[in-house]
Amino acid sequence: MIRVAAKLWAFIVRDFQQQVSYRLAFLLQIGGMFLSLGAFFFLTRMIDPNAKGLDGMNPFEWMLLGLAFQYYFSTALYAFSAKVRSEQMMGTLEAMLVSPTSTGLVIFSSAAWDFTYAGFRVLLYLGGAWLIFGISFHLENFPVLLLGIVLTLLSSVGLGMLSASFILYFKRGDPINFFLSGMTTFFGTVFFPAEQLPAFLQGVSDYLPITWSLRVVRGALLQGKGFAELQSDLAALAVLTAVLLPAGLFLSRIAIRKAKQEGSLVQY
Amino acid sequence: MGHAVEARRLEKRFTRKRSIRELLFQPFRKAEVVEALRGVDLTIREGEIFGLLGPNGAGKTTLLKILSCLVLPDEGSATIGGHPTSREQEVKPLIGLVHSDERSFYWRLSGRQNMNFFSTLYEVPRERRDGRIAELLQKVDMDDAADRPFADYSSGMKQRMSIARAMLHDPPILLMDEPTRSLDPAAALSLRRFIQDELSGRDRKTIVLATHNLHEAELLCSRIAVLMKGKVRQVGTVEEVRRWGLDTRNYELELDRWPAEAGGRFNVLSDRAWEDGRRIRIGLSGDDGLNPMLAYLLEQGVTIRGCTQVDADLEGAFARILEAE
Repeated sequence: MIRVAAKLWAFIVRDFQQQVSYRLAFLLQIGGMFLSLGAFFFLTRMIDPNAKGLDGMNPFEWMLLGLAFQYYFSTALYAFSAKVRSEQMMGTLEAMLVSPTSTGLVIFSSAAWDFTYAGFRVLLYLGGAWLIFGISFHLENFPVLLLGIVLTLLSSVGLGMLSASFILYFKRGDPINFFLSGMTTFFGTVFFPAEQLPAFLQGVSDYLPITWSLRVVRGALLQGKGFAELQSDLAALAVLTAVLLPAGLFLSRIAIRKAKQEGSLVQY
Repeated sequence: MGHAVEARRLEKRFTRKRSIRELLFQPFRKAEVVEALRGVDLTIREGEIFGLLGPNGAGKTTLLKILSCLVLPDEGSATIGGHPTSREQEVKPLIGLVHSDERSFYWRLSGRQNMNFFSTLYEVPRERRDGRIAELLQKVDMDDAADRPFADYSSGMKQRMSIARAMLHDPPILLMDEPTRSLDPAAALSLRRFIQDELSGRDRKTIVLATHNLHEAELLCSRIAVLMKGKVRQVGTVEEVRRWGLDTRNYELELDRWPAEAGGRFNVLSDRAWEDGRRIRIGLSGDDGLNPMLAYLLEQGVTIRGCTQVDADLEGAFARILEAE
């Protein structure tokens, strides 16, 4: 376990070192983030605060959390597959895979920095909103929030591993990413509540982990809801996580084995 | 002496993936199958430099990839230090792979940062890590450049870093895939010396060297296997392979003259004037043809200034093996 943690940490350090070697890009990204935050602040001023599905929450605060966590999910979706692809292209994947580190751990750890960085960006989003726009958050139910975030992380890892499996095996682009990103944006209650959708489409949202994740996060941070009020949302998120995570890990094992049989593990 | 590497009836086929266009327009056409390895049997002894020689596409890299657990064989088996390659966790600590591809590092990081990262993956204990990296950087003569970005290194330096990385966990077996491919002659020479003197001579590593450079194989390897179209065509010491398919021994004679009537008696391979005499290359069958030839020349009053056996070269052997295909 210590060995696995040390390897995970080594990946984070490696990618941090690479990230800071592009200092200007790093600073511009942060600047861009705050600009988009400002844009959404003014955009949401046009939205009716009593719109169906907002449950009395301020539209900007509602969308702010949607944006922050959608970024987290899209990182999960893209990070594994993008990292696998870029390591294949750089020739570093082969160098890592001949080391006594399992292929699954190499793939999983490759995205560790992206998750860390995404977490940092979520904090920056929330911190910026608090500092610049004076938004206050309920932190009294932090353990519930933390549980929601852990389940969010695990379910997104499951989706990410599914996507990486696709890249490992098929090499040609990643339709899973494309499809899931679109689904998340449209049905995931990121930009508008599911209640705004036609009735026959509203049920689709229930099958996406981001829907439940956002219900927990918004409930805890914006409405100060506790475990009792959020337990059904947490349970739904836990069920989706229990399906997605093992499915992602299982399919990635199959993809790795197939790629080794075909000799295409390090090809791109 | 034990066996470091063994391969038994290894077979590997690759199926070329079909494009969507092919699937649409020729749905019933069978996918193309390439037989990369066709029943490869090999035994590599501990401590030897073993050359895998063959033209491009012969199966050298596929064999190395199977030995380094990156590719699974379709048939047959391979063992490293007695462990089957299917048991990755037992095999990987025993091998280090030196890539021909200098891209296999993080170019924006320094050499030392790269080594630090890979040392964790290679499970070098934390307390020994800095010392081990420093020792290896010194060994490959990269200690002065270790903190420069990898992107700034020359091809030779990158290749030396690749060797240092493969040795991080001090494996007894090094698998080298055309390590001098992208190097200039001086850097290639220096690397060959390093392989021979340090890795083989001092560290007693078993080295499996895949190359299509015949000169390199002759210089470095104690034994070689010639692979062609996925099969081992010849295996043996360099001398044994050099002599494969040769039914004559060649000698070069330095003579004051060459009697005209001798032409029909001997198989003259080349004849050229040289200062005040002739230099003649003759092919003789068997070992006992030399004495009668020399006796004949002396009888004819020829002054023999020199007589040397001309070594059969690997290039000739390679051409003969290729011809026999």
